[in-house]
Amino acid sequence: MTTPGSIVVVGGSLAGATAAATLRDEGFDGRVVLLGAEPLPPYERPGLSKEVLRGEQPIEEHFVRPPEWYADHEVELRTGTRAVQLDPAAREVVLAGGKRLGYDRLIVATGCRNRTLQAPGASLPGIFELRTAEDSAAIRSAAAAGARVVCVGMGFIGAEVAASLRMLGCGVTVVEVFETTLYRILGPDIGRVLEGIHRDHGVTMVFNDTVASYEGDGRVEAVVTSAGRRIECDAVVVGIGTEPSVELMAGTGLDQGGGIPVGPTLETEVPGVFAVGDVARHDHPVFGPIRVEHFDNAVKMGAVAARNALGGSEVFADPHWFWSDQYDHQIQMAGFAPTWDRMVVRGSLGGRSFCAFLLDESGVVRGTVSLDWPRDVRRSFGLISAQAVPDRAALADPETDLRTLVTAGEG
Amino acid sequence: MEKFVTVGRSDDVPEGEATAFAVLDEEVAIARVDGDLYAFSDVCSHRRCNLAMGGEIEGAAISCECHGSVFDMATGAPMNPPATEPIAVFPVREEHGEIQIEL
Repeated sequence: MTTPGSIVVVGGSLAGATAAATLRDEGFDGRVVLLGAEPLPPYERPGLSKEVLRGEQPIEEHFVRPPEWYADHEVELRTGTRAVQLDPAAREVVLAGGKRLGYDRLIVATGCRNRTLQAPGASLPGIFELRTAEDSAAIRSAAAAGARVVCVGMGFIGAEVAASLRMLGCGVTVVEVFETTLYRILGPDIGRVLEGIHRDHGVTMVFNDTVASYEGDGRVEAVVTSAGRRIECDAVVVGIGTEPSVELMAGTGLDQGGGIPVGPTLETEVPGVFAVGDVARHDHPVFGPIRVEHFDNAVKMGAVAARNALGGSEVFADPHWFWSDQYDHQIQMAGFAPTWDRMVVRGSLGGRSFCAFLLDESGVVRGTVSLDWPRDVRRSFGLISAQAVPDRAALADPETDLRTLVTAGEG
Repeated sequence: MEKFVTVGRSDDVPEGEATAFAVLDEEVAIARVDGDLYAFSDVCSHRRCNLAMGGEIEGAAISCECHGSVFDMATGAPMNPPATEPIAVFPVREEHGEIQIEL
């Protein structure tokens, strides 16, 4: 592979900025252009539902790199610039407004957009979603102490926003379609532990129900649910999931609802084009084709794609890891386990301090979830990568170092 | 001129572990790996999590339990994102069963 002359990164995101930085770290001295649709330089999003939302830290503290870093490293950061179309034959991206930008290698890090709820009244002022720093600031401005806020959806974003709003002194009511918090990802047993924590912090929770309509005269004043509840409120935050932003790939066949498909090395079927982060549906050596929306994944994929764009052939095989901070609790999860056959727990669910291992029908550890028990999640990486079948009693025993079970499981 | 201050006893820092100490206004972590001592800021340069508590040591590297940043305990250099800034490191020695560092 010849050395590329210019590399364009689409997405002024954590994954995109990490890719650009890695290109320079690797000594690439060609042209690097980083296109960001938002007005700000790339920033980390986790704080938007926590420290930034609560006003404890300004967004500047969450910038991936200081603003001057880009010029200092000859990375052409173009904020407020959206790439709208890929022209693979010409090896160009078309920008909003029609200008074209040529590339030798392209790294797509366009991320996700939020799913929206189509309900009468959904365009009323006072109804928010959360993805950008601007969204976070808007929610903050509506979340004065004493304000009554309805959080629609109790996945990770909903749960973190609910926690932050309670910490700000807002009244919080949750409307969640499933039977408990975080049900889809963590299942009912762990979900109920988190439900208990939110209840203890004064969150009112409505499960197995959805929004039928919003009411208000010029501004949202109430949420009406399918079951007929009417919840008066001053603001609503909707967090009901995401869909990948794949429009750039229109015409290539890769603009798929499940994300842009990439092979093990993060390269797409379009020559010279890679996809990373939330938008990439990656053929993972252990988990198969999956798309995840984790901070750590964005960082690591960005780095690997950059090295591979420079001629490397590194297979991305990270076991995946993320965290969620709610009140003074921390959840961590590793692996990928949309379903599981059996859960083995060390520690105590009821005691709200545990590490749970999610096993498939063959006893293979597919995922690990902890609450205020962080060390073992990171120590389980080896088990997950090796698809180990460890002894269940050893898993449940807090005294057993998980790292010693990797070879035992393989035997 | 050397200005080492005693931060704790040798057996406060077992092999393979990092221990947190408060030294004047500094939060300092001291780790012992293969007999060698490392002294460094206990505060991650990314989001200010403490490194000694929950941090995982591998060779001369420690990873932050909060968000996965990894630092070289000898130089303080960030080895894995999200951290991009180094942490402070301090000269450390062991004398008469005491651990001493130079701030």
